[in-house]
Amino acid sequence: MISEDYDRIDATLRSTLRDVLGLSESRAAALDADTPLFGAMPELDSMAVAGLLTEIEERLGILIEDDEIDGEMLESFGALVRFVATKTRR
Amino acid sequence: MLRFGPDQGPLVAVALPLFEDANRVRGFAVAICRALAARGVATILPDLPGQGESLVLLERCSILDIADGFDCATKEAWNANRRLYGVALRSGALLDKLALLNGRWHFAPQDGPSLLRDLKRIKQALQPHIRLSDTDWYFDPQTPADHPDPPVEIAGNRISTALLTDLSVYAPWTPADGGPLRIVRLDSDPAPADRHVPGAALWRRAEPGNDITLARLLADDIADWIATCER
Repeated sequence: MISEDYDRIDATLRSTLRDVLGLSESRAAALDADTPLFGAMPELDSMAVAGLLTEIEERLGILIEDDEIDGEMLESFGALVRFVATKTRR
Repeated sequence: MLRFGPDQGPLVAVALPLFEDANRVRGFAVAICRALAARGVATILPDLPGQGESLVLLERCSILDIADGFDCATKEAWNANRRLYGVALRSGALLDKLALLNGRWHFAPQDGPSLLRDLKRIKQALQPHIRLSDTDWYFDPQTPADHPDPPVEIAGNRISTALLTDLSVYAPWTPADGGPLRIVRLDSDPAPADRHVPGAALWRRAEPGNDITLARLLADDIADWIATCER
């Protein structure tokens, strides 16, 4: 079940990054746990982060509190998946 | 105000979303209006207070002022006994509550608290050196008590504190409010809806975009729904 949750979250985050940042299908598919995000992906600036988080909330039915937003959760694709997994498990 | 379609028959009034999202989906809304006109359905796309060509400054508006503008834009058709339907995109669904309508059709409606969180994140992103407070972040503590609160500038929009406070509690029309209501969302949005459709969230794009295929699909849905309401 946990594996299914991770797969669903992984797929949703991949498609959200693709749609919000305008990534190509191949770039979205190539994201792996170690792919760096904030600070390394030019499309993901501070403004884009705002829209990305709201879109993630809508697509996964979660609420991300402001004090939970930090550089660590957006450090890599894997870190973002792990962060969202902790929110959906509650 | 843009007008499309015939002078007779049901009229659709389109409410664009608030703030920057209006610019991102205006072309898409026009594509929906044109597709509806091709199906024989008339539409109007008004510039509401604080939007587009409006002479009213956004910073002077509460949400009721903007909703009142939508009501005024539809009044002539209502008084002429024309059947009148509201179509709202995203947070435009917050603006059709004062108007007398025969039905409401909402695409990917966004509630006020969600939009307010969005605005706060944008504001925070634009001034990362200042940590915004949890709830009253849009009030300036330096403002003397006997002075009106100054508007807050967020990504080029000067927004009144009254409007931001409105957003913290404002939600779109619900079935419990009465009358026909149809909600359509994107496949990627798991929230309850009458229909989910394929497409990308144009309001998340950095630049205004369009999706003619989706516009035609939605125009079909709107035209079919109105035909059902008119039976």
